[in-house]
Amino acid sequence: MAEDPRPDAALTGLEGVPHTGEAIGADGLLVEPQAEDFRSAKLAPREPGWFKGAVFYEVLVRAFSDSNGDGTGDLRGLASRLDYLEWLGVDCLWLPPFYASPLRDGGYDISDFRAVLPEFGSVEDFVYLLDEAHRRGIRVITDLVLNHTSDAHPWFQQSRAEPDGPYGNYYVWSDDDQRYPDARIIFVDTETSNWTYDPVRGQFYWHRFFSHQPDLNFENPDVQEAMLDTLRFWLDLGIDGFRLDAVPYLFEQEGTNCENLPRTHDFLKRCRKVVDDEYPGRVLLAEANQWPSDVVEYFGDPEVGGDECHMAFHFPLMPRIFMAVRRESRFPISEILAQTPEIPSGAQWGIFLRNHDELTLEMVTDEERDYMYAEYAKDPRMKANIGIRRRLAPLLENDRNQQELFTAMLLSLPGSPVLYYGDEIGMGDNIWLGDRDAVRTPMQWTPDRNAGFSSCDPGRIYLPVIMDPVYGYQALNVEAQLNNQSSLLNWTRRMIEVRKQHHALAEGDFTDLGGSNPSVLAYRRRWRRPDGREDIVLCVNNLSRFPQPVELDLSEHRDSRPVELTGGVRFPAIGDLSYLLTLPGHGFYWFQLVEADDEGEAR
Amino acid sequence: MTGPHDLVDKVLAELPAWLPAQRWFGGKDRPVSAVRPLRTGVLSAADPLLVHLVVEVAQADRREPYQLLVTDRVDNYDATTDPELAGRLLDLIAENASVDGLVFEHEPDVRVQTGLRGRPITSEQSNTSLVFGSQYILKLFRKLTLGENPDLVLQRALHRVGCEHIAQPLGSITGSLDGQTTTVGMLQQFLPDAVDGWAMATTSVRDLMAEGDLHADEVGGDFAGEAQRLGQAVATVHADLQRALGSAYADDEDIDRTVRAMVTRLDSVVESVPELAPYVPALREAFEQARDTPGEIAVQHIHGDLHLGQVLRTVHGWLLIDFEGEPGAPIAERTALRSPLRDVAGMLRSFDYAAHQLLVGQPEDHQLAVRALEWARRNRAAFTEGYAEAAASSVGDPRGRGHLLRAFELDKAVYEVAYEYANRPEWLTVPLSSIARITGEGTR
Repeated sequence: MAEDPRPDAALTGLEGVPHTGEAIGADGLLVEPQAEDFRSAKLAPREPGWFKGAVFYEVLVRAFSDSNGDGTGDLRGLASRLDYLEWLGVDCLWLPPFYASPLRDGGYDISDFRAVLPEFGSVEDFVYLLDEAHRRGIRVITDLVLNHTSDAHPWFQQSRAEPDGPYGNYYVWSDDDQRYPDARIIFVDTETSNWTYDPVRGQFYWHRFFSHQPDLNFENPDVQEAMLDTLRFWLDLGIDGFRLDAVPYLFEQEGTNCENLPRTHDFLKRCRKVVDDEYPGRVLLAEANQWPSDVVEYFGDPEVGGDECHMAFHFPLMPRIFMAVRRESRFPISEILAQTPEIPSGAQWGIFLRNHDELTLEMVTDEERDYMYAEYAKDPRMKANIGIRRRLAPLLENDRNQQELFTAMLLSLPGSPVLYYGDEIGMGDNIWLGDRDAVRTPMQWTPDRNAGFSSCDPGRIYLPVIMDPVYGYQALNVEAQLNNQSSLLNWTRRMIEVRKQHHALAEGDFTDLGGSNPSVLAYRRRWRRPDGREDIVLCVNNLSRFPQPVELDLSEHRDSRPVELTGGVRFPAIGDLSYLLTLPGHGFYWFQLVEADDEGEAR
Repeated sequence: MTGPHDLVDKVLAELPAWLPAQRWFGGKDRPVSAVRPLRTGVLSAADPLLVHLVVEVAQADRREPYQLLVTDRVDNYDATTDPELAGRLLDLIAENASVDGLVFEHEPDVRVQTGLRGRPITSEQSNTSLVFGSQYILKLFRKLTLGENPDLVLQRALHRVGCEHIAQPLGSITGSLDGQTTTVGMLQQFLPDAVDGWAMATTSVRDLMAEGDLHADEVGGDFAGEAQRLGQAVATVHADLQRALGSAYADDEDIDRTVRAMVTRLDSVVESVPELAPYVPALREAFEQARDTPGEIAVQHIHGDLHLGQVLRTVHGWLLIDFEGEPGAPIAERTALRSPLRDVAGMLRSFDYAAHQLLVGQPEDHQLAVRALEWARRNRAAFTEGYAEAAASSVGDPRGRGHLLRAFELDKAVYEVAYEYANRPEWLTVPLSSIARITGEGTR
């Protein structure tokens, strides 16, 4: 068992690449790569609050572009596609983990925080990507898992081998498996306990997720410092922020469910302080899959504008958008927004229609699940669809009107929109690959071999490209849509552009306008500009497949005139009576309200 | 410049022709023979004039009081169409003003904002409702009922016990009529996000009708969850009314009177609507069976005219509005204690109407008729289920009172037969087919 005592023995593929545990210092500490060992990227321009108006784009490094022909996307490949993303109007890339990992949990099982997964490239390649992105005004954030590591991480190898060494207390060890009985088991299908016995150390270790992902012991000040240094390592290289994964679980406490504990918030405040003091303008985005009323805790103290995470995902909005269109009723959306509390002035929601890893009913607590079932279970088709992972286009049966309606809502509801790679061209999925990989197929660039994603032998590609007659790459690809002015791609780009012209859609306050027709969701975004004038945008969405009229009470804006934002057409002025609009099935309007005699401005 | 009295004279002269053209005027079935003023209150004597007027409208042997607000500022004299004059009414309520015999009051626990403009809403049928900003709605009763209006009385009582399923009452306008303090206006919280239950339900029906092969429980627009919550809301309001205003149990005489009233209505309707004749024996039997209802029958204040158009869906759930009772019924009947199952029956009828409304006037289509029935069954069951979940113990599960509920529903359907026959012959098939179905099925 102990024939090979090297702490990096469980790391694979990192020969010749700087990594953690290549050597052990005289103090018994592992030697880890330092940011000074690398060139760092030129920083993005300093704009506090940039994230509040940014359009995010989630892209899987593996799936976007392969620069070296090995069949797997990589950092250099992604860098070569930045012109496209700049053209599309993307402000910030969100990359799921690209760290060294045994890949038993999609890369969320990190075996070295300071090395890049070799098939994606190297730290130098990441710095190159950052530089190229920043040159185009695009920022980059990535996932960081604070709660646990892979059991292959040299820290864990040291911890199990040398209980009395400097890493002995890095993880949560116990002589029995009886502590913290009130913490639920998250992956009930695969794990029977939050404790697993380690024969090497002869003790049990604590893990909230898979048994190959031991939880770090945040009680240990050394662990807190080590994780802060992990943040600093990437921030020094120039990264623009992190999505902090699984934040509710950092600390444990007897007699609690070990979630959202006060000390967890205290540690997030420390992370935020490091960012504010040492790296102003970078962001922290919390992954906390909970109800908005609970998630707001992760923004921190509203008195100071928020002192924990800058952003958090609004999870329940997405399924409710789908539910509202299915029901042809605005109430599922109106209700969840009415239940969404105010957030601190320095904070912003992240909203999305799809991402790589959907909301599943298994991921929520019993109480929340009861609520979800009460709301959704009446509709069996909804129940079947929520919780499986499909792309936007197939979920909407490839209906162009609905794809536009959904995207228009994503770009106009409160929060920063997060697009999922490929949805801008209406890419399909491959359900035969199993639900994790179904939505992770290669980006479709051209009708050429491997959809232009890779020059490799097609048999070598990490997942087959989509080849079905509807979504296949030969018809559905970026090149074809670039050349077609009426394509979904060009439409999406245009809508992103319009959104950016109206800051009300980014930071404006949100008012649900109700209205006489339950199938029409109408809301107002109002932004008071620094010069004191107001930018008011009115969004009207027909959630029904049938044409609908709606009467809106706009009497507060009497004598204003709605100007449609994509074409600039001036609609009749608003009077004392209800304002009547008619919409085609799944149609929507974005208007700016201008003074009746004003010709309307660009922003 | 004319004074208030010149204005009133001018208006009175034009009223016989003007009244029948108003949507809210309830006497369109016969000509107006005379109009005389019952009381005049000058709310503003100078530019612009604003006069509160109650007139008695005589039509053959019928004499009924109507409320008007007149001004010289708009062409048709109707001051409710002028946003600023309408705002004046709100200001008077905010000030707790008393002007020329009219008493404007806000409820003791609220403050009312002033300076808002008012605009009439278009959906109102028999009254005029003015909306101020997105906060307030003022209902001006058009045809007046002497005394306090049950709408105000019941909603105040409900608010007192903390009922969550009504819009908060905020104020009132009262005046003396025939020596009685009479409610002429009622101010409530306005809910700009609200949609009425009829629009919600017919959205769901439309979705089902557009599907080829899916059943009512399979379509995205399924309404059963909403119907169930609506049932809970109605039951909760009934329980709150009981807490606020008490309840009693019907005695044999009450039950006898109720059954006789249903039979009398049936006899009179079948005289003019021969299509009803085949169902008369079964209907009589159903009404008589109401006497066999097991256990005691609780009676209390109820809504009295409950249907999908009298409920509002808001982001916080369902609300009930318009507790006036059936506008055509005499006030004694409207304020009497009655079984809450009458409201349940009214809502069940409304689900039948919502299910079938798209089929009216269309060529017969068996597939759609089956779908409509499926929708009605599913949502009626869900509503009843929800009601049973939240019902007060004295009321209990309506399904345990099958005979009585069925009699109430059939009685309502007989009323609908008469109404449709007189007003919308195309719709006659809706209540008739319900009667055929319910009498054919026996007690559910």
